[in-house]
Amino acid sequence: MMPGLVRAILAVLVAALLSPAAMAHKLREQGVAVTIADSPLTVTPGRDWNRLDGNIGKRTENWTLDGGQLNDLTFFAGIEPGKPLVRERSKKREPLPRFGASTLLVEIPELFEATYRSAKQIADFRVTDVQPIRFLGQEGVMFAFEYVDGDELTRKGEAQAAIVGGRLYMISFDAPRLHYFARTVEDYRKIVASARLP
Amino acid sequence: MLPFLKWGHVMRAILSVLGAAILYCAIGSSSLQAQERSAVRQGFVLPPQSGKTILVLRPSVRVAEQSTGGLAEPRAEWTDQARAHIGAALVELQRQLGNTVIAAPEAYGEDARTVAEHLALFGAVSDAVVQYQFFVGNRLPTKKRDNKAGQFDWSLGPDVAKLPGAEQADYALFLHTDDQFGSTGRKMLQIVGAIAGVGFTSGVHKGSAGLVDLKTGDLLWLNADFQMGGDVREADGAMKRVRQLLEDFPGSAIPRDAPSAETPSGGKP
Repeated sequence: MMPGLVRAILAVLVAALLSPAAMAHKLREQGVAVTIADSPLTVTPGRDWNRLDGNIGKRTENWTLDGGQLNDLTFFAGIEPGKPLVRERSKKREPLPRFGASTLLVEIPELFEATYRSAKQIADFRVTDVQPIRFLGQEGVMFAFEYVDGDELTRKGEAQAAIVGGRLYMISFDAPRLHYFARTVEDYRKIVASARLP
Repeated sequence: MLPFLKWGHVMRAILSVLGAAILYCAIGSSSLQAQERSAVRQGFVLPPQSGKTILVLRPSVRVAEQSTGGLAEPRAEWTDQARAHIGAALVELQRQLGNTVIAAPEAYGEDARTVAEHLALFGAVSDAVVQYQFFVGNRLPTKKRDNKAGQFDWSLGPDVAKLPGAEQADYALFLHTDDQFGSTGRKMLQIVGAIAGVGFTSGVHKGSAGLVDLKTGDLLWLNADFQMGGDVREADGAMKRVRQLLEDFPGSAIPRDAPSAETPSGGKP
């Protein structure tokens, strides 16, 4: 009985002591290599960024400069076959499309679009460009997109993806078309260029 | 293990530890929730009758019903009512802003789209300021240094100079309101949740007013809150809302609103 009680008390204390720290956003310093979402993926940012507290999926991380509304950098660090890109609110009522073992690189923009449309409940999303590229030392795909979110603001975005060892690695960036996208897109591209897998 | 402790001692120890933990959480969460409501860009002053001209843009107004599940379902008739009432209240109060005020010209076609996009951007910037600067415990590490130095550095970008009427003014006044009134189902869920000890909010009443430099796009002054008062679907409520939004406007003679008992669901008195 006692050890169980002591463990419970300690658990409450640890949770209480850790919660404010755990809730804080974390600094990602210029020039310091960091691993993403406990995966083998590392990046070295070319300027200071903020890693937002919380995540939208088990293998994702969100970074920003001014807030998710104004610049949203999302890492998808090794999505396994059979899994959606982000966590589903309800598997039954609002299922999200899944990355599959047979998903091809050229299908990634479509998967991304379908995920955005469902997860953000938006009607207006356009892929504006798709190009083959090298990403993480592999054949990859780059695509650009534009969409209007629930706040009626038009946002532009760009993503680069590759399938490595059967898992999907992707880094996306989006920001309001006015002012914010052009101001930060080069910082995003530097992060993409620094991305490494062992 | 621990044979010298009696059960009563153990219970007291547990209760005191739990009490300390709850107190710690309460202090932690209250510091996280400490909230500011307005800010001015460093060095910006706007005395009354300064000779500056303020371009007043048509407010961006959205009113919806919040479903039981928490989704916003737009209500066109409420939005139309609110738009008319807020517009009328703004016309009445803008005379007290303390400086020359001009109304933005009616915009059509591409101009109208530019205005709408800037209003939406202003809404997003305001939300980011409230979430990541006004909520002190939620500040972004890269901005903490600026915050310590009293910096308020947010911008809509220099494209504001292309807004219709911008060439005749120094500053633009943006107003943005976003209200969601809880449906009966949502209110019931809130009551049931309260009994079960689960927090469900009913209603969203966000509002922001901002003064923007028409050359740089920099935000010079912002007053914003996620829980505002005034039922914008009614004339009195809309006046209360606009008064709250403009109450700290630099150089203005608008007095602070007197507290009243009437509030929309989830709003502040």
